[in-house]
Amino acid sequence: MSSPSPNGTIDYTALVHDDRIHASLYTDPRIFDDEMERIFRRGWVFVGHDSEIPSAGDFVTRRVGTEPVIMVRGKDGDVSVFVNRCMHRGTMVCPADRGSARTFTCPYHGWTYDISGELLGVPYPGGYAAFDKSAHGLTRAPRLSSYRGFVFASLSPAGISLAEHLGSATRLIDRSCDLSPAGEVELTAGWVKHRCAANWKALPENDSDGYHLGFVHRALFSTVRSQYQRVVGDERAIKAVVRDWGNGHIEIDWSPGYQGPFEWLGGVSGSAVADFVAALERRDGAEVTRRRLLGGPAHALIFPNLFLGETNIAIVEPVSVEECVHWHTPMFLTGVPEFRSRLLRMAEAGMGPASFLMPEDLLVASRNQLGLHARTAVWLELGRGLNRERVDAEGRTVSHVTDETTNRALWRHYRTVMTEA
Amino acid sequence: MISHTEYRAVVEFLHREALLADEARYAEWLALWTDDGVYWVPATTDPAADPDKHLSHIYDNRGRLETRIKLLLTGHRYSQEPASRMRRLVSNIEAAPAENGELVAESNFALAELAIQAKREMHWWVGRTTHRLRRVGGELKMCRKKVVLVNAAEPLPNLSFLI
Repeated sequence: MSSPSPNGTIDYTALVHDDRIHASLYTDPRIFDDEMERIFRRGWVFVGHDSEIPSAGDFVTRRVGTEPVIMVRGKDGDVSVFVNRCMHRGTMVCPADRGSARTFTCPYHGWTYDISGELLGVPYPGGYAAFDKSAHGLTRAPRLSSYRGFVFASLSPAGISLAEHLGSATRLIDRSCDLSPAGEVELTAGWVKHRCAANWKALPENDSDGYHLGFVHRALFSTVRSQYQRVVGDERAIKAVVRDWGNGHIEIDWSPGYQGPFEWLGGVSGSAVADFVAALERRDGAEVTRRRLLGGPAHALIFPNLFLGETNIAIVEPVSVEECVHWHTPMFLTGVPEFRSRLLRMAEAGMGPASFLMPEDLLVASRNQLGLHARTAVWLELGRGLNRERVDAEGRTVSHVTDETTNRALWRHYRTVMTEA
Repeated sequence: MISHTEYRAVVEFLHREALLADEARYAEWLALWTDDGVYWVPATTDPAADPDKHLSHIYDNRGRLETRIKLLLTGHRYSQEPASRMRRLVSNIEAAPAENGELVAESNFALAELAIQAKREMHWWVGRTTHRLRRVGGELKMCRKKVVLVNAAEPLPNLSFLI
């Protein structure tokens, strides 16, 4: 059940303006509690991917907001998400990151559940006059839904559907999945988790910020050529754009700046590539395939915690008002095993604590967190690009890649979610 | 078994490598590698980890190793600007002969890192390292270094220094 906002006293309309936001949004623990309730319990949150748990009994453990959950494949093949908590005294039932299980047994008093969450047995049942095992199964996430293998949960029984939440942003997920001839991606390489000493919102904001690249990543761009090179030159020559898909879903679209296919994959060639292109052409025809291979996968945030990071998939995990974790794994394309090594090496180059990009992002985020504790100056400016953003034929706001259109879209949705009845 | 002299040379190599990494002497550290070097930091403690199937923290060949060092030398690798203050202890060293006249050395390390770039936090890094060493022109060089952190699979802070 959803409870009322624990801090109904905070006036979010005074903190989130169209072109500026207040620093306390990153530092006030009461606001963090509100977010866990309104965004991460009532809303739809990405939990994991179908391919992570292929067989009955396979599970991964995650957090929905700060709530521990188990995502498990049942005997019927369906995916369930349970609160990772014994119904007896609240002990976390499953401590492993992932694995395969036939039952989950609580270590405290031996209560045992099957993979459909049902309570199988309670030791020493003589201590209860009458005990209804069926009323003590693991608590299920009230709502579960998936799109193309991406599993989302809501911890609230009521609210908009996943389809309503995603809206037209399903096309961003399509854009990534459709690069696979099988129409599926596989997240089977394992996750790297990168700890960040900043509020969780710094990560989605930074992941969709096209303004910082030439500054934060100056070391990389001055050392190696990459597909991002074209967004660090002359402002007028940059063709990439940012786009607002609504409901907090926001995108950086590099593709207007790409000149040839596979720039998103660092350029590839050879017979494996020819086979891959041929497989896509058989499915989609030459023209659609040409566009897919030019544009590549999406670079987009699916609000609030799923980041489609081109050839990577990332998760934003809030920990506390001052700390979060950025997870990532390479996005393998089903049916194209030849790309796996390259995708692994690209993932290691781009994301994670030892990579060539993210350490700088997370360092800046942690410096932001320190600066945002100031109260003599309290506003963050988000007005960049208001002078030139435009609305496209589909009603989406689009602007120059360095514009804060994405930040404003994120915060506009945030204000809606944090103030709605 | 290897000779006492050879063991001594391995220990001195490991101590030297640790010092160069601690003191951010990047070019000198890079010079300890052979041209076919592989620098691997798995993202799991599972001994079955396979860098061709599983994501790693680091899986550098020589080219990427050089890029890693070039970034640090730009002065704009902000996650290591200024460089963390570090000291590491290398201990429990075991060395054995390997194929082709090479040597394999296993050791434990404990590294204290003061990450002074933002919050000035002390980070502890602990793990087990496997070095594969080869004599090139009379000097020991590393052709492979694998570092298994005890917390490899946990959320890690920035690891852009040399571990």
